[in-house]
Amino acid sequence: MLEMKNVGKVYRTELLETHALRDFSLSVEPGEFVAVTGPSGSGKTTFLNVTGLLESFDSGSYFLDGDDVSRLDDDARSRVRNRKIGFIFQSFNLIPDLDVRDNVEVPLRYRRMGAAERRDRVGKALDLVGLASRSRHYPSQLSGGQQQRVAIARALAGDPAILLADEPTGNLDSLMARQVMDLLEQINIMGTTIIMVTHDPELARRAHRNVQVIDGQITDFKPYEGPHAPVQLEAQAHA
Amino acid sequence: MFAYDLRLAALSLKRHPGLSALMMLAVALGIAVCTITFTVYHAMATNPIAWKGDQLYAVTVDSWDPEEPANDKQPEMPPEQLTYRDAIALKASDIPARSLVMFKSERVVDPQQSAHKAFRTIIRVTHGDFFPMFETPFLYGSGWDRDADAGPEPVIVLSKESNEKAFGGENSVGRTVRLGDNEFRVVGVLDDWEPAPKFYDLNNGNFQKGEDAFIPFLWGETLELPAVGNTNCWKSQTIESFRDFLNSECVWVQMWAELPDRETRERYQGFIDNYVRGQKTAGRLARPLNNRLFDVDAWLDFNKVVKKDNRVLIGIALLFLAVCLVNVVGLLLSKFLNGAAMTGLRRALGASRKDVIRQHMTEVLLVGLAGGVLGLLLAAAGLAGIRVIYGDNYDRYDQLTQIDPVVVLLTLGLSLLAGFVAGMYPAWRIGHTSPAVYLKTQ
Amino acid sequence: MEFQPIMRALWRNRTGAILVALQIALALAIVVNSVYIIVQRLEHMGRDPGLNVADTFSVFFAPVGSSFNPEVAMREDIDVLRALPGVIDATRINAIPLSGSGSSTMYYTEPGEKGREAPGNYYEVDEHGVNTLGVRVVEGRNFDASVVARLPDNSSAFVPELILTQTMAKELFPEGSALNKTVYDGLGQPARVGGVLERMHGSWVGWDKLDNVVLHPVLTSERFASYLVRARPGQRDALMRLAEDKLAAVDNGRIILEVESVEELAAKSYADDRAMTVYLSVVVALLLAISALGIFGLAAFNVSTRTKQIGTRRAIGARRLDIVRYFMVENWVITTTGVLAGCVLALVLGYWLSTMFELPRLKLYYLVAGVAVLWVVGLAAALWPARRAARVSPAVATRTV
Repeated sequence: MLEMKNVGKVYRTELLETHALRDFSLSVEPGEFVAVTGPSGSGKTTFLNVTGLLESFDSGSYFLDGDDVSRLDDDARSRVRNRKIGFIFQSFNLIPDLDVRDNVEVPLRYRRMGAAERRDRVGKALDLVGLASRSRHYPSQLSGGQQQRVAIARALAGDPAILLADEPTGNLDSLMARQVMDLLEQINIMGTTIIMVTHDPELARRAHRNVQVIDGQITDFKPYEGPHAPVQLEAQAHA
Repeated sequence: MFAYDLRLAALSLKRHPGLSALMMLAVALGIAVCTITFTVYHAMATNPIAWKGDQLYAVTVDSWDPEEPANDKQPEMPPEQLTYRDAIALKASDIPARSLVMFKSERVVDPQQSAHKAFRTIIRVTHGDFFPMFETPFLYGSGWDRDADAGPEPVIVLSKESNEKAFGGENSVGRTVRLGDNEFRVVGVLDDWEPAPKFYDLNNGNFQKGEDAFIPFLWGETLELPAVGNTNCWKSQTIESFRDFLNSECVWVQMWAELPDRETRERYQGFIDNYVRGQKTAGRLARPLNNRLFDVDAWLDFNKVVKKDNRVLIGIALLFLAVCLVNVVGLLLSKFLNGAAMTGLRRALGASRKDVIRQHMTEVLLVGLAGGVLGLLLAAAGLAGIRVIYGDNYDRYDQLTQIDPVVVLLTLGLSLLAGFVAGMYPAWRIGHTSPAVYLKTQ
Repeated sequence: MEFQPIMRALWRNRTGAILVALQIALALAIVVNSVYIIVQRLEHMGRDPGLNVADTFSVFFAPVGSSFNPEVAMREDIDVLRALPGVIDATRINAIPLSGSGSSTMYYTEPGEKGREAPGNYYEVDEHGVNTLGVRVVEGRNFDASVVARLPDNSSAFVPELILTQTMAKELFPEGSALNKTVYDGLGQPARVGGVLERMHGSWVGWDKLDNVVLHPVLTSERFASYLVRARPGQRDALMRLAEDKLAAVDNGRIILEVESVEELAAKSYADDRAMTVYLSVVVALLLAISALGIFGLAAFNVSTRTKQIGTRRAIGARRLDIVRYFMVENWVITTTGVLAGCVLALVLGYWLSTMFELPRLKLYYLVAGVAVLWVVGLAAALWPARRAARVSPAVATRTV
């Protein structure tokens, strides 16, 4: 599904050069649920931005769903984001002046989809997250958990190849967090590939596979099999 | 608390410098345009002798054509001037405390015993009462008395400017000037006196340059001085001599009376009406009785000193200010609502609704004040520009464009009021937003 | 494309949008009416005066002392003027056209103040008058020298013949030509119409009978006389100085008071109209500027406060063009609303102005032009902020500040 090889990203300012990602390689199969963890400052956010085509990268290659998305221009990247990727943000990022229904259909509008099909997809997505009854509500009238579920509906409405979740439960209490995680698992079981960035090891445990990013480089390690085993963090140089 | 509000306001303005500058500019432009327009309007609408407003009266008699009114735009009004014979007849009455009849003429003045050149002067041919009635200031000497009127004595009062030209500005009382073939003795020199508008004679423009010299009225007849100004005759008459002209139905004489109280006024009105009735039996003054006494305000109104144009301009200036204010309200609203998170935080920390409104209004008033001051500066520049462009003209534009302290105060008051009005709604809105909504993450 | 959601979002924050629309509406109303007034004034000032204004100037003088022999002195002066190099012609005249100073009287088609009547602004000129004024005689001919005379002092004598403008001719003799017909003064004295001028303006530019002008073949008496001189094109200013010097050098009992060009005298007469025009032009310019700035400022501010939203939209698939289009559509809705409301306001204001101040009614094509201008201004002002918005990086969506 997703194939990144030796990806590098450098931030250059007048004073210094930061290698946010170096020699970064990752491979994700369709239907996988991958958690990406790491301490703050490790490059998780850069990884997210690059994977989500929110930013370009300087070296290496990136294939998504069979297409080479390494050196695309801005318009082409937008197109890929629209059709292949579904985003879920830590602070929900719903548009406050639009109601739930209008929020969910935003990506569909950019796809120039017809009204009937939009209505259909929005309805299905809201049904899936269990918020069909709130379609006319505004974000300010919803709880945090509900807002995140709307965001998930928005991410799903366009039938993306992968879902990119950035700390999806970071702003939620434990009850809501569990609800959202349950939803994500359900979506994954239905076949959607999910890459979730988190610093919470508890959350990471719910994924199939854990990948760790330290200093812009990746460490791949399998999830532990048993309960309560200490999480081993090891930095390994990757060829 | 106010100092704190001020600090918060200043900080808030600095946070968005572009927006703050734009708001101040909008207020400034609106204020500047209004100030310039008001200044000109105020100059036109002023009664320069307002303190004597209800004592001075312009005297008119409807001596016009029985077939049609003197002024077809104001058909119920009499002509603004009198015929010579009517003026003389009315002057004979001793009912008014003071009175005068006058007209404007011109002569070449040749100062004697002086090295200075001859020059043409505008002469006002009037009675000695002119000076106390209109309270003209004197630099040297004084006017002449009623005996000098009766003579007439060859006395003359010079304006400050003509005294400069003829005598280099010295005290010329007692010296003589030559008007044509006649010698006149200087009895007084006026100080600066340019009433704006020139209410006592609006015939050739509302802001005309003042006269250069004044001589007693009866010299007009004796020297056959030409009437320069407006001469209007409705009747075709054979006019072959100066005497014919004086006896004609042409109107060219102005008349003013000082009537200190209502009783005097009514008596005088009665006298005038009786005179006209008497003339009717002699076959003159065939129009219906319409002899009016105008106080200065009414006189200025009758002569349409404030033109249609000025009123249109006031309207447009106010509309322009409205656009500027709508602009500012929109910008303020956006700015305040955008700071809602910060405000919500303050509310959570204990600020009341009133505190929030007061704090935001302080910011608005700062904008209004800054805009007002800037606007005044722009207005001063604009008025100076008008003076420069229009310099010398029939109507003296520099009289119209002096910044009046009254106008300055009004302007600053207006800018504060404008700021207040503009800021009311945005401040109210931000004060009444529920803090919870904006404190939620998003 | 996204019209409905944009409308719905705008409606949620309608106060701000309404304020911008209101601003545009007011601006349109003021601009349209102001431009209309400006054009009217310009037309008023631009009327063809019929006479030469560019090359003519006046000389005012006054007798001083008893050595002044009027006819001798004035003839001498005119000869001096006509002899100056660069002078086309000169005449004695009783008043200068367009100067605000002049004389008028009534003319009748029958004696005893009967028949048709028309007021006429009359100018006393000699046989050089027509050439000096530069007016066109379309019927009949100029005065012959034999008919030009000085009227006896203090008399009410009338002239034997006169020349009048076409406007007056039509007023007095609506059917047929006025040439060789007789007009009478108020005392019943006759004069033959010897010529008809194409057009000529009189002294008072605000008078509705400005086109009613009559030429009298009279050598003006010294009480009212001044000289009118016509110079070759381009030589007027130099000649004004030369004329003053040469005349001052002649010692015949009079002093030269002032030499002024007809152009300047006319400008003084039109000063109020010109002031109105300048004032309104400045107001219109300021209004458009402040409207553009206001819309720009507000749009830029709105963009700067919505960066998170913009980033999110980009993240979920909006191209740069989509973002620009979003803001431009938003702006277009507001601008169009403002323009439509402004049309109504402009008509109301126009109606009020025309009734209150007796101005003619607003013409529709001014409204159309105003709509076009305000539309362009409104949209153009939002263009830069919209393009700034498009440059917001999609990575803004993942920032957690």
